[in-house]
Amino acid sequence: MNRTPSIALVAAAALAAGIGAALLLRGPGPALALQSGTMLAAPRVVAPFSMVDQNASPFTQDSLKGHWTLLFAGFTHCPDVCPTTLATLRAVGDKLGAKAPALVFLSVDPARDTPGVLRRYVEFFGSGITGLSGSAESLDALCTSLGLAYVKVPGASEAEYTMDHSSALVLIDPQGRVAGYFTPPHKVDTLAADLSRVVES
Amino acid sequence: MPGIKAFGALAALLVHVPSVACPGLGLQDGWIRDAPPGAMMTAGYARLRNDGKQLLRVDGAASVDYGSVELHRTVVEQGLSRMQHGQPLVLAPGASAALDPGGWHLMLMRPTRELKPGDVVTVSLSCAGASSAFPFTVRAATE
Repeated sequence: MNRTPSIALVAAAALAAGIGAALLLRGPGPALALQSGTMLAAPRVVAPFSMVDQNASPFTQDSLKGHWTLLFAGFTHCPDVCPTTLATLRAVGDKLGAKAPALVFLSVDPARDTPGVLRRYVEFFGSGITGLSGSAESLDALCTSLGLAYVKVPGASEAEYTMDHSSALVLIDPQGRVAGYFTPPHKVDTLAADLSRVVES
Repeated sequence: MPGIKAFGALAALLVHVPSVACPGLGLQDGWIRDAPPGAMMTAGYARLRNDGKQLLRVDGAASVDYGSVELHRTVVEQGLSRMQHGQPLVLAPGASAALDPGGWHLMLMRPTRELKPGDVVTVSLSCAGASSAFPFTVRAATE
């Protein structure tokens, strides 16, 4: 229990540092100015990781290569933000068509979000969303790499806990590096416009 | 038989308490996001309005179609999405408030029947012991 908040704090600090660095370093450099987020001046490599998708097939750092990826961290026992964001991502994907990035939902609640649970969940929001889960250690390593944070919050009973989680979307470039972050509110039109410019740049 | 009389009065009071409506509370555009099969929770949204003459504190919710309903608010603090609950939604006379995705919402847990888009669910909102029931329509998750 003591471990999760400290990991989360490290990850939050990493995210803040990443965004801060991006803000400081931006200028005449190549980083695109986005309406709804920030491109990092220097993309950050994602350290090797080992997760599984909703079909229990391996998903590693190599799975991120060769295409853009838009990743959102959440959990399926999340009534408001996660379904709202997944519906937004699906709409962005539909709007961008062939230019759409791969859409990934990363569960920060592997205890409840097994691949089977994630499969029913992501398929409900339309085809083409990948649902990732993995061991707590793999998850923490990936979150640290991506600059994402989460905290388990106890509920009324052992089973009814909830999760605080980063609200940002992570943009990953075709080299498998963190390229930028989108911050809420996540709006379909703004995200689609920003992503379209990123993909074409 | 003063004892029986008192008991009768108390029973009548207890029976009648739920039928006292929140004075002036109005609700429009109530909707519930359709949830994936097997999902244990989803959220409900609406527009609330206090057309009465006194301040209202919406402090609870219930529905026969869910095991439990709570009034929650999503907030983003230092980059983290988190849930606040336990706070009443306060509506001054004439005030309105929106329960919208990413903000105030009803957290609807453990559905007691299978629901699909178009179904109508009755949700009761409570204010200091009074309670008013409103219809919420289930809508597709992606529209």
